[in-house]
Amino acid sequence: MTLTADPRTGNRPAPALLDFDDTGPPPLQPTRLPAVHVLVGAGFLLVAATVSILVGPAGLPAGAVLAEVVGRIPLVHLHSGLSATGVVVVWQFRMPRMVLGCLVGAMLAIAGASYQGAFSNPLADPYLLGVASGAGLGATLVVVGAPFIGQIPSGLLPVAAFAGAVLAVAATFALGRSRASERSAASLLLAGVAVAAFFTAVQTFLLQQSSPGQLTTVYSWILGGLATAGWSQVELVLPYVGVATLVLLACRRLLDVMSVGDEEAASVGVRAQRVRIVVIVAATLGTAAAVSVSGLIGFVGIIVPHTIRLLAGPSYRRILPLSVLFGAGFLVLADLLARTVLSPAEIPLGVVTAFLGAPFFLVVLRQARRVG
Amino acid sequence: MKRPEAVHLLAGAAITAIAAALWPGAAGAGPPATAPVAGATTPAAEAVFPVTVASGDGSVTIPARPVRILCLSASATQMLYALGAGPQVVGVDEYSTWPANAPRTKFTGAETSAEDYLPLRPDLVIVAFRSGSVIQQLQKLDIPALLLAPATTFANVDSQLAELAAATGHRAAVSTVEATIKTDITAALDKAGNAGRGQTYYIEVDPTYYTATSKTFIGSEFSLFGMRDIADPAGRLSTYPQISAEYILKANPDYVFLADTVCCQQEPVSFARRPGFNALRAVRLRHVIGVNDSVASQWGPHTIETFVALLAGTLRP
Repeated sequence: MTLTADPRTGNRPAPALLDFDDTGPPPLQPTRLPAVHVLVGAGFLLVAATVSILVGPAGLPAGAVLAEVVGRIPLVHLHSGLSATGVVVVWQFRMPRMVLGCLVGAMLAIAGASYQGAFSNPLADPYLLGVASGAGLGATLVVVGAPFIGQIPSGLLPVAAFAGAVLAVAATFALGRSRASERSAASLLLAGVAVAAFFTAVQTFLLQQSSPGQLTTVYSWILGGLATAGWSQVELVLPYVGVATLVLLACRRLLDVMSVGDEEAASVGVRAQRVRIVVIVAATLGTAAAVSVSGLIGFVGIIVPHTIRLLAGPSYRRILPLSVLFGAGFLVLADLLARTVLSPAEIPLGVVTAFLGAPFFLVVLRQARRVG
Repeated sequence: MKRPEAVHLLAGAAITAIAAALWPGAAGAGPPATAPVAGATTPAAEAVFPVTVASGDGSVTIPARPVRILCLSASATQMLYALGAGPQVVGVDEYSTWPANAPRTKFTGAETSAEDYLPLRPDLVIVAFRSGSVIQQLQKLDIPALLLAPATTFANVDSQLAELAAATGHRAAVSTVEATIKTDITAALDKAGNAGRGQTYYIEVDPTYYTATSKTFIGSEFSLFGMRDIADPAGRLSTYPQISAEYILKANPDYVFLADTVCCQQEPVSFARRPGFNALRAVRLRHVIGVNDSVASQWGPHTIETFVALLAGTLRP
């Protein structure tokens, strides 16, 4: 499998490749990730993470919480003075919730960005090829099937959601590839639409047959959220999100090359279809793991990458790493709002991401147009 | 109703429609069930038909004493049988589990076509929530449809009993049924004494921490015993809000009731195993009680009697 591009080509900004045929071998124009971008992203994430650890309905003193967290750093000796309950709140509730928010947000954002690159489609999002409908069907099957199977281990819902998501994308891929003559991005997209419609139909049918209690369970999963986040969920998704993120980051130069089209990419030795497969597999596994514990959180995979694109330029060498940082920070902030605006009541996280994200994105879009 | 709107963004419209109809609380979107019984002002002669009774959907006129009642509300089913209208019932929905000999059907009340009900040839259909345009369809078929939205208070229960009694020709039985409910409650309160006064509770509707505030019917049952709901501060916009594990730990309730034993296989042991929850007072004192999910969503006489008896047996000074 050829996954390495000509290093010189790979270093060029994507738009410049448009005139590749006219200008011959591209001059060396590095589109490196400016350190200031990384610093801003890391700062944003750090602030979001810190605030989310400090704030919560238990009303713990911020200083004590900070001391509790900093005190765990080796060689730092700080006594927080938190009660046993306070320690549980910080380490069993707020910390895993924040970490899970980071993982899910980072995964959805980088998966969205990667899909957009792989399909050269600005509307692509992590749920494009059926992840959401597959995960939804998996979760529904477990809940609706519970009375027939008897006692169901509580950890089965995320596993079923994950399996459903992977199965749906596998089906999309098999169907999209079946026309050997045309293994294009377009046929994959269409197969994804068909698979998603089919899975959603089955899910809707099952829900319509289910009891109000089962409906409630599926429903609260679909709405998405981190209300029940714990370290076990973090352990569950960390390997997938970690590996998927690394693989996608490794593909960032190839995505830049592919942004000029499959044939042009082929002319510099990039086999677009193979890159697309790697990107799809990585993004799917990561997204499936994320939604299996968080439910369907919308718009992150669209809004975060596009906001970065508008502010930092179209190169995936910038978009992908920044998506990780800003996606994580964005979701942690959204979750902070989800649990504080009506505290002690929670708002579904998917509502917050869309409610905040959509207007914010429109503002960025308008600003970018004005500047452009 | 926030949650139905939210799911609209994320799931298909079909799911939204079903969910909006079935979600506890969402079903209460209709007018409250406290409207007076129109028929009650007429002389209290039994079997005065036609009779007009208040429905959650306006008022409905029942031309003659119904003898083929289809009841799609588990709570209304309990009321009908308590009133003595059982012999007039030809069908109940699949959630009507009491009495055991009620003619259960596969209907859920979420059917979207009134035609589904026609094989039973009902002359009165009782529903707890609007499902599509079924009520209007029934009206076109000249079948009276009585909408009795979920009760949130004992006064709602009394008025629904009166409406059902008027609609089915059993007005004389209302006072007896109400007296029985009162007797059950008094007995339970006597048994509990002051054990519940000031005690806090968390009622879990779903393991993602959806709960019910004291403004719900089950909340009013706890209130009888002087108990306080830890979810009340979260009830500004919804009477079935979602709270968090952190808040539960902070509120540290005296009692926990798991009304997700059927839907979600929760039990006191699994509850205690959740991270950090072994520190909860209710867990340490073994005050975590699994109950049937239906107690959180039903308001019939049998549910009331069973639940107050359970509370009386659970509360300890």
